[in-house]
Order: sequence, then structure tokens, then C-alpha cells
Amino acid sequence: MSIPSPLFNCQQATLLIERRVDEVLPLKTRVQLWTHLRLCPYCHRYAFQSPFIARQAKAAAEAKVPADVVLPLAARRRIQQVLDNHDRP
Amino acid sequence: MTTLLATPEPQQWLLRFGDELYRFALGRVADAATAEDLVQETLVSALDALDSFRGQASERTWLFVILKRKIIDHYRRQARSPFMPLALSPDQAPEAEFFRPADGHWRPEQYPSRWEVGDEGRGDLRLEQQEFQQILQSCQQRLSPQQLAVFVLRFVEELPAEDICQELDISSSNYWVLVHRAKLYLRRCLEKNWFQAPAPRS
Repeated sequence: MSIPSPLFNCQQATLLIERRVDEVLPLKTRVQLWTHLRLCPYCHRYAFQSPFIARQAKAAAEAKVPADVVLPLAARRRIQQVLDNHDRP
Repeated sequence: MTTLLATPEPQQWLLRFGDELYRFALGRVADAATAEDLVQETLVSALDALDSFRGQASERTWLFVILKRKIIDHYRRQARSPFMPLALSPDQAPEAEFFRPADGHWRPEQYPSRWEVGDEGRGDLRLEQQEFQQILQSCQQRLSPQQLAVFVLRFVEELPAEDICQELDISSSNYWVLVHRAKLYLRRCLEKNWFQAPAPRS
């Protein structure tokens, strides 16, 4: 599977910025992407912002729920009922 | 608290772990009702699998493993529900909003701008972090179900890309297309609603 050149193509370049996180790109593609990022201020910014978003997403999920939130009483009762009526295998 | 080879006590689960499981789930899904359902599914599955619990891990660890599995299942169902074809013609593809189909250059109105993310924040850092994360979460909720699924599974649950392709039954090229689109939308949404928004009053 050949990878289209990201040299002059921002759509390709930003796609490869995502891809390189999960796999090693061919050398030729890496050189083209590196060159693109030196020349293009917008993709250069994208290359910093994209991993920043990824890091924040994890932190946001952990921080979203304050430690004093509890399972609402109605749900607790409902779940208890389901468990009580559930036939053990 | 946990002794080795402890006998599980299912009648205590809700009391001992209910709140903790619920908080964990609530951080990872959009609403409270879904989080409640996930806690219920987790405990029911645990009850069914009681024989497989041998006391190597604590009950708590074991229940969290099951809950994480339920969260993945939840996103898999979400991603599958309304089927959306990914391969659209270049003009219709979501990428065309951001890049000119002819040459793949950014459209000028979509140029990423510089983000100030240094230490010198605007006012109270902790508060600012909280607000930023709330905006990120609300931006996430505007993604398509498929984009949200790959984004959460990869960057919140931190599953390897291969596993996500398997769970969602998609090819790796479709996986990257979805990650790319999710990032493009989130980047723009954050820029509009946070980085270019007026600083909050301190």
C-alpha cells in the first residue's frame, strides 16, 4: 500500500501526523513529512496541538467527576433489585 | 482490606464499590443514565462469572476489569448504531470542510492558529484547566458516534489501534480517517470555544 506524498499536501500531512503515533512510517514518507512541517506553519501547529488534545482528553475524563459524586439512590435500588432477582447460573 | 483468596461477597458489591464504579463510568460516557446502566451490567456480568473469580485479584480490581470491558462494548454499540459510510467522494467528505479537495491545502479560514498553552495562564490555573476540560468534553459530544468511539478508546481508554480496529470491525485506514476527522473537529472546536474566546472574568 503506497502512501501519497505529504510533501505539498496538508490533508495528507495531518493524516500522517495521526498515523505516525501508531506505526513506523516508511523513511521516504518521514522525510517528506518532516520537510512539510518545516515549511508549513499551519501543519506545524497542528502537529503540536493534536497530541495536546489527546493528553487533555484523558485528564478530562479523570477530572470530570468530583470525588463526592455517588450512585443516585433510585439507581442503587433498581440495580439491587435486578441483582436480587437475577438467577445465578 | 482484601485477603488472599477472598471469597467474593456479591451482596456487598453495590455498597462497597457502587459509587466508585459509577464515578469511573460517568467520567467516560456522556450521561448519568448510561453510567448507571454500565454499573448494572457490570455487576450482573460479575454475578454470572462468579465461578471465574478465583481470588487472585481483589474483587475491586476484578469488577473494574469488567466495567472497562462494558465501556468498550458501549462505544462499540454506539459506533455501529447508525451506519455511516466513510468513503465519500472528495467533495462530500468531511475533510473538504478543512482542506481544498483540489490540492489538499488548508482552506484559509481553517488555518490553525497559535495556541497559548504555556504556564502563564489566564487567571486561576486550576479553574482554567477545569473549564478547558469541560469545553473539550462538550466538543467531544459533537463528534459522530464512530469518531467519538475511536477517539475515546484510543486516547482515554488507551487501547492499541489494532485492538480498536478489531473491536469496531474497521480497517486500519478507516481507523486513521476517523482519528484524523475527530482531531480536526476537536481542534477547531477548542480553538473557537477556548483559545479565541474572551478570557473569563477573574
